[in-house]
Amino acid sequence: MTAPSSRVSRYRVERAITRALAYAFLLALAIVFVFPFYWLAISAFKSKDAIFALPPQFIPQPWQLENFARVFRETNLVRAFFNSSIIAAGHCALALFLCSLAGYAFAKFPRAPGRNALFAFVLGTMMIPGAVTLIPVFVVLCKLHAVNTYWAMIVPGTASAFGIFWMRQYTAESVHNDLLDAARIDGCSEFGIYWRIVVPVIKPAMAALGILQLMNVWNNLMWAFIVLRTESMYTLPLVIYLLNGEHRTPFELIMAASLVATLPLVIGFLVFQRYFIRGITAGAVKG
Amino acid sequence: MTRDHRKLRATVVALGLAVASAMQAVAVEWSAVSPAELEGEVTVWSWNIAAASLKKLVPPFNEIYPNVTVDVNMTGTNLQSRFLLSLSAGVGAPDISQLQLAEAQRYVRTGRMTDLTPVAQRYEKDFPASFWADCVYEGKVYAIPWDMGPCGVFYKRGLFARYGIDPNAIETWADYIEVGKQIRERSGGKTHMLFLGSGDMASLFEILLRQAGGQVFDDEGRIAIDSPQTRQVLDVLRAMIASGITADAMGWSHEFFASFQTDSVATYVSAVWFGGSIRDYAGNTHGDWGVFRLPAFESGGLRTSNLGGSVLVIPDQCARKEAAWAYVEFALCTHQAQLEQYRSFDLFPAYLPTHSDPFFDEPEPFYGGQCVRRLFSQDIERIPVLHRTRDWMEALRYIQQALSKWVANGMGNSNPFLDDLAQRLSRRLARPIAPEAP
Amino acid sequence: MQHDVRKNRRDLMHRMWRHRHFYLFISPFFILFAVLGLYPLVFSFVLGFARWDGLTDIRWLGLANFENLIHDELFFTALWNTLIIGLLYIPPMFIGAFVFAVLLNASWLRMRGIFRAAFFLPSVTPMVVVAIVFSLLYGQEAGLLNYLIARVGAWLPGVEGKAVPWLVSEQWSKISVAILLVWRWTGYNMVLMLAGLQGISDEYYEAARIEGAGPLDRMRYITLPLMRPIFVFCSIMSLIGTVYMFDEVFVLTQGGPGTSSTNFGLYLFNTSFTDFKFGYASSMAYVVAAFVFVSSLTILRWRRASET
Repeated sequence: MTAPSSRVSRYRVERAITRALAYAFLLALAIVFVFPFYWLAISAFKSKDAIFALPPQFIPQPWQLENFARVFRETNLVRAFFNSSIIAAGHCALALFLCSLAGYAFAKFPRAPGRNALFAFVLGTMMIPGAVTLIPVFVVLCKLHAVNTYWAMIVPGTASAFGIFWMRQYTAESVHNDLLDAARIDGCSEFGIYWRIVVPVIKPAMAALGILQLMNVWNNLMWAFIVLRTESMYTLPLVIYLLNGEHRTPFELIMAASLVATLPLVIGFLVFQRYFIRGITAGAVKG
Repeated sequence: MTRDHRKLRATVVALGLAVASAMQAVAVEWSAVSPAELEGEVTVWSWNIAAASLKKLVPPFNEIYPNVTVDVNMTGTNLQSRFLLSLSAGVGAPDISQLQLAEAQRYVRTGRMTDLTPVAQRYEKDFPASFWADCVYEGKVYAIPWDMGPCGVFYKRGLFARYGIDPNAIETWADYIEVGKQIRERSGGKTHMLFLGSGDMASLFEILLRQAGGQVFDDEGRIAIDSPQTRQVLDVLRAMIASGITADAMGWSHEFFASFQTDSVATYVSAVWFGGSIRDYAGNTHGDWGVFRLPAFESGGLRTSNLGGSVLVIPDQCARKEAAWAYVEFALCTHQAQLEQYRSFDLFPAYLPTHSDPFFDEPEPFYGGQCVRRLFSQDIERIPVLHRTRDWMEALRYIQQALSKWVANGMGNSNPFLDDLAQRLSRRLARPIAPEAP
Repeated sequence: MQHDVRKNRRDLMHRMWRHRHFYLFISPFFILFAVLGLYPLVFSFVLGFARWDGLTDIRWLGLANFENLIHDELFFTALWNTLIIGLLYIPPMFIGAFVFAVLLNASWLRMRGIFRAAFFLPSVTPMVVVAIVFSLLYGQEAGLLNYLIARVGAWLPGVEGKAVPWLVSEQWSKISVAILLVWRWTGYNMVLMLAGLQGISDEYYEAARIEGAGPLDRMRYITLPLMRPIFVFCSIMSLIGTVYMFDEVFVLTQGGPGTSSTNFGLYLFNTSFTDFKFGYASSMAYVVAAFVFVSSLTILRWRRASET
């Protein structure tokens, strides 16, 4: 055996061990992180007695499929699903567009007069907690006749300071200035630069923002409860929340409905995260 | 929706910063319209069991009032925000809303509820005085009591029999604690008498304080918590915790619900609606439950109290006050409707004429054939009035925090503790301390 | 002089015109803000100088709310608790999120999508489920964690398997909240960091590899510096999130026992929506917001200074 080949094989063994350790580490932690969701999934198939049994049942005894039938019978989950989807789609599309556009502007126009002050202002709006602006925001929506419409759910929070800040941070580092300059020299319009050069590069950041915005709007209960008034407008969290009673809560139904309501988020995550692929930026730089 | 829009447009003028300036309640002209002539659509906000109950009453209501449409909407119990915001914006509130009894005063005192005095005053004698008090402000009636929460102690029959305990022999809190020690001993330390989490003492405190006839505020809104009655309550709490019969856990936690089906806890000091919770979470324990009356502070003392309950109000935004009142009156002030709600939805009626119905004397299989309804109805008129203010919720939370610290610091002498608590409450709520009663 | 001012103004107008696309691109935010956000902001700020229960007349108090704030022990307790909870959960969450992001970004890893979803799941698990599961874990006598501790205690001679009073003791409640927060928010930050790692061009790594840099060198000289804007973002968001956090504390402990886990967000919520003291709530919100704002700008500036 020659020296180089033994070095290579030792390197391979080391690498295999490191990777095995990494797998073990990830697997162990994944179990910890997934456990509550697993609990949700099995509780959706339990009777209420069984949900609160001690010792806890890790596998439902027996499987109670009836929970789902009852949820669909007692609530208008299908309609709520439809409402939630429209609101989520509208909100996410608008938010991704507005935030990435503004984030790009804040990141790549360093010499625009007032940029820093304007950006500080955007940040500042994030510091004011919703609890103190809730009443006046509601009054404004009343004035705009937006109560009990999709708009009341879609528009607020689309041009979010969070999203703009995130996009600015990301764009600043990953979009190279020479790329933009080259496009300008080629006579590309400013919007064209954003659309054809910037957007492809910041796709991972948009995917991340998409996931987080989807999660926020999909789970938004407090605001939905305030602005949506008729049952035909209710979203999923609202329908689930309204299953709650004063001293009695049908946990088995809440679990079943929650599982139905959460699965789209998991699927949404799996779809968005496909954009987390290394090499997009490299390709863009070359191209 | 179109109706909402019209309402919106009509009130737009009143919005803006002007929202802040409350619109003064205009005295309603209660015209005498015959039931058949009364028209309009009435929306109701209520929470789930209660909403189901109100929905069920609509057909019989429509037999009398054929032209009034009632639309019952479910809302949650905790998120008061929607109701508050709608009142605040002056638009979008329902015609009728359910409120927790403990929160009624904060709304009643704002002048944003319809004054029901002309039509409702005559029902005063039909409700327990302690309940009516929460619906009245400055002599005017703004809310009608709905269900109430008379208290008792729920116990597990099998467990009591196994350890040879006679629930009827428990007359005072001292007896109760004694039994708790026996159960603890005979079960080998496995079974506690009751749940009493140090972070979760407010409910039991409220039950006991009311039973003892104590107050947080006197009738002029001054801090009256430093009293012999509160000291009595603290003595009972201290004795319970010191004797080791309490399980330290949060109420309504997993352990709490699980305990319905296990031997970890023997009794639950609570209100009549708690029976619904047991039935709901542990239907399989059917027949194993019993109820004994709340132990007294001393032999012969009052053996009941109240926890929870709710009322209905008509916000002053309501444009169809006669129709709304017709429904409230039908649902809350008639024997038939109140009985139906108790029978189908376990909502214990505050309307006293119902209590003479034979339904109250029927044995209940869930409680091993015991007549628990009569037991809860007993002495209901003797429950002392609890003076509630608009800052009642804040006061109660503050007391909870103080009690929790009191337990953590070893439950010292009540006098300095109450003296300190009264001063802190006084500072926090900007209210004077009441002169100690002679 | 006059001439200079006019020239400067014309100069400014000229520069603004040159950057008109900047203003155009950021205008949606400001338009939406003007329609939906401006009035609420002004209204709530002004309310800080008044007493209002949301229903009756506003009563002007001048600076009385701010004076009360100075003497409000609950306010300072809440700030202190916020600080402690933040210190307890942010470092492990940050490190965890970064380690996960780096591992889940590795091209050799199989089932990356599944792992990523697994770590993100806590962020989408509904709060009602979180409440049930964690009360099951944290139970004093029948909780899963105490059961495990007892088993380990019986197993290992040196370890004392004493039950931990997770939620019922003032000493432990903050730690219990912090554990929940690490569990819930690590995946969220992982998603942001993962996206950040995607933004680092492969060319840097290629170049480093050619120069013979090991994995640790690449981490130190490429990944960490280039991830700085993302770290800055996550830090500021964690700061804001910690101060205004509400759900987790409300569901797990309701701020108790006593006030031991009441953070600022919960105190603010209670002040406004259970006590109906909207004026007082506004005054405290603006005081805290000013502090958070200054801290955020400091974090941003730290980044700029170290950049050069």
